[in-house]
Amino acid sequence: MSNSPTADDLPMAHGQPPPPAPAAPDQTNAVREAIAQAIAEHRVILFMKGNPEAPACGFSARTVAALQSVGAPFAAVDVLPDPRIRAELSAISNWPTIPQLFVDGELVGGCDIVCEMYESGELEEAVR
Amino acid sequence: MGPLAPARLRRSTTLTVMPSSEEIKRRIESAIPGAEAHVEDYTGGGDHFRATVTAPAFAGRSRIEQHRLVYEVFGSEIGGPIHALSLKTQPPPPDR
Repeated sequence: MSNSPTADDLPMAHGQPPPPAPAAPDQTNAVREAIAQAIAEHRVILFMKGNPEAPACGFSARTVAALQSVGAPFAAVDVLPDPRIRAELSAISNWPTIPQLFVDGELVGGCDIVCEMYESGELEEAVR
Repeated sequence: MGPLAPARLRRSTTLTVMPSSEEIKRRIESAIPGAEAHVEDYTGGGDHFRATVTAPAFAGRSRIEQHRLVYEVFGSEIGGPIHALSLKTQPPPPDR
C-alpha cells in the first residue's frame, strides 16, 4: 500500500564498515568512519534499535513515529547488529542513548527532544 | 556478546543494585547547582526513569546541552544500570 520511501530503500549498510582497505589495521576506526560517512551522506538520519518497520525499543518506535508523522524521508541505521556501532556513535556524538537523530550532520537529539520538537512543530521545520 | 548475556537471563531479586528514583533525584540536585528534579520510575522495574529538571544552568543552552548536563551526572550508568532516563529540562521561570 504505502509507497513512501523507507529506510530499506536507502543504500544503508546497516552499520557495516565499508570494504576494508588492504591492511584493515583498525576495525574500530573503520566503524567510526562508516558512521561519520553515513551522517555526512544523509541529510536526515536516525540511529535506532531495530528498523523503522520493526523498532526494537519503545523510544526508537516513538522517534520513528514522529518522523513519519511529519512526512520526513529519513535514513535509518540499526545499531543492534554490532555493539561497536553504538559505542562509536556515542563517542562521536557525546550522547549516551539510542535513538539519535541527525539533521544536516548535527545531532538533533534523542526520543525526548525529537518528541518535544514534534509537539511544538519544530521537527517539521527542522527536517523540511 | 558473551559477557553481556548472563545479565539478561532472568530477573533476580538478589541483583537489585539499581538506583532508586530518590537517589537519581538527589544526585541530579547535588551535581547541578540550584537544580530541582522530579524523578519517577515509570515501569516500576528500577531501570527506566523519567526526570523533569529545572536548573538555572539551563538558561541560554540548547536542549541538547541541557540534556547533556544531566546525562553527565551519571556517565556510563546511562545505558547500563539505568537503561533509560527520559528527560524534560527547563530553566527556572523568570522572577517577577
